[in-house]
Amino acid sequence: MGYLVDPDNWEWLITARNARFILEGFLVNVQIALIAMVFSLILGLGLALLRLSRARAVSTATGLWIDLWRNLPLILMILYLAIALPEPWRDAYESAAPGFLPDVLQTGRVFAALLALVLYNSAVLAEIMRAGIQSLDRGQGEAAAALGMSYAQRMRLVILPQGLRRMVPATISQLITLNKDTTLVSIIGIQEVMRHGRILTGNNFFGGVQAPLLQVLIFIGALFIVVNLLLSRLSRRLEIRERERTGTTPEPVSGVEDQLAVATAD
Amino acid sequence: MSALFDVLTENIDEFGGGLWVTLRLVGGAFVIAIVVGTFVAALRIAPSAWLRRLGGIYVETFRNIPLLVLLTLSYAGLRRAGVEIGTWTAGIASLGLYTAAYVAEVLRSGVFAVSKGQIEASLSLGFSYAQTLRRIVLPQAFRTVIPPLGSITIAMIKNSAIVGASIIALGDLLKNARIVQSDTFKTEESFIWAAAGYLVLTVAATIAFRFLERRLAISR
Repeated sequence: MGYLVDPDNWEWLITARNARFILEGFLVNVQIALIAMVFSLILGLGLALLRLSRARAVSTATGLWIDLWRNLPLILMILYLAIALPEPWRDAYESAAPGFLPDVLQTGRVFAALLALVLYNSAVLAEIMRAGIQSLDRGQGEAAAALGMSYAQRMRLVILPQGLRRMVPATISQLITLNKDTTLVSIIGIQEVMRHGRILTGNNFFGGVQAPLLQVLIFIGALFIVVNLLLSRLSRRLEIRERERTGTTPEPVSGVEDQLAVATAD
Repeated sequence: MSALFDVLTENIDEFGGGLWVTLRLVGGAFVIAIVVGTFVAALRIAPSAWLRRLGGIYVETFRNIPLLVLLTLSYAGLRRAGVEIGTWTAGIASLGLYTAAYVAEVLRSGVFAVSKGQIEASLSLGFSYAQTLRRIVLPQAFRTVIPPLGSITIAMIKNSAIVGASIIALGDLLKNARIVQSDTFKTEESFIWAAAGYLVLTVAATIAFRFLERRLAISR
C-alpha cells in the first residue's frame, strides 16, 4: 500500500509532458470509439430492419450474419484483419481518410481495427434494436397501417421512435463496452493510450522521472472509469427526462435482461 | 477443403492444447466470478448504506475499466512493484473479477424481481430475514437470472481470448492459432479453426444454460 500512495511514485504525473502524453493517447482511443460508434449505430439499425424484414430469405441471411460476428471474440477479428486485410483496402482507406484526423488514425492498420469494431458492434447493436422494436405492442403498427401509413412512415413515425427509445440503456451499455474495447487496438501496434503508457515506463522518456507501470495503469484505468461513468449518467438522464416528458414509466421489455447482459458483459 | 483440415490435423497439438488452456481459464474465472459476484450482490442489497456503497464502487470500477488494463496491471504492473504473480493467477483473477461485476448486477436485479409481497408474507409468517433470503428470495432470484448469466458466460469465453493476446501471453486457443499462423503462413485456416473452437465453447455454454433454465424454470 505504501508503494501505491508513495508521492515519489506519482511524481511522474506532474513531471514534464508525461500526463499530457497519456491524455494524447487517450484521445486516440476516444476518436476511434466515436468513429466506430457512428458507423456501428447506422449499420446496426440497417441490420435490425433487414432482420425484421418480411422476406424470409432476407431475415434469415441477416440473422446468420449477425450471429456470426456477435459470437466471435473481437480480439480474434482485430488480429485477423490486421494480418489479412488486402493491401488495396488499406491504401484506399489511407487515401480516403479525412485530413483533419491525426496521423495515427490515417494508417491502414487503423482501418483493420475500425472494421473489426464496426462488424462486431453493429451486430450486437442490431440485436438490441431488434429486441426494442419487437417489444412494441403489435397494435401500434396495425393502427398506423389502418390510418393509411406506408411501411416507411410506420417505421419512421411510430415504431422506431418508441422501440429505440426503450433500448437506450442497453445501447449506451454497449457503447461503454466499445469504449473499453478500443484498448485492444494497442495489440496490433496502434499508438493509443496503452502504448503511450508503456513508452513512459520503458525508459526516461521525457527525462527526469521514470514512471512506474502500476501507477500509469491506474491512471489510465481511472480515465476510462470517468468517461464511462459520464456515459452511463447520460443514459440515466435521458431515461428520467423521457419519463417526465411523457408522464409514463417505461414498460419493461421482456427478455431485455438477456439483451442487457449481452450488451454489458462483452 | 482438404487444405483446411490438413492445417488442423498437422497442428492438432497446438489447437487442442490451446483449447484446453482456454477451457481451464474460463472454468477458473467462472468460479471466481460467481463467488465474488454473489458476495458483491449481497453487499449491494445489504441493510447498511456503507456496505451498499462498497459494493457499488466495486461494480462501477470493474465494469468501466478495460479488461486489458486489468490484465496488464495484475501481471506486469504488480511485478514492477515487486509483487510476483504467476501468469495463470493473473489471467484467471483478472477475467474472474472483471466478470464478477456483471454477475453482481444481474443477481441484484434478480433479487429485485422477487415481488415484495412474498417477502412481506414470509416475514409475517415468522421467517427471519436470513431465512427469507435463503428460502424465498434467492432460489427464485437464481432462476430468473439464468438466461442473463448464460450471456455473461458467453461474453467471458470471448473475453478470455484477450488473456492470450495481452502481455500475459498464456498459450490459449487464439495465441496458439497465431503461433500456427506464423509457422505455416496459413492465415485463413489458422484463424478459422480458432474461431471454430470459440464457437464450440459458446454453443456448449448456450446449450448448458438452456438445459439449466428448463430444469429450474418456474411454471407460472
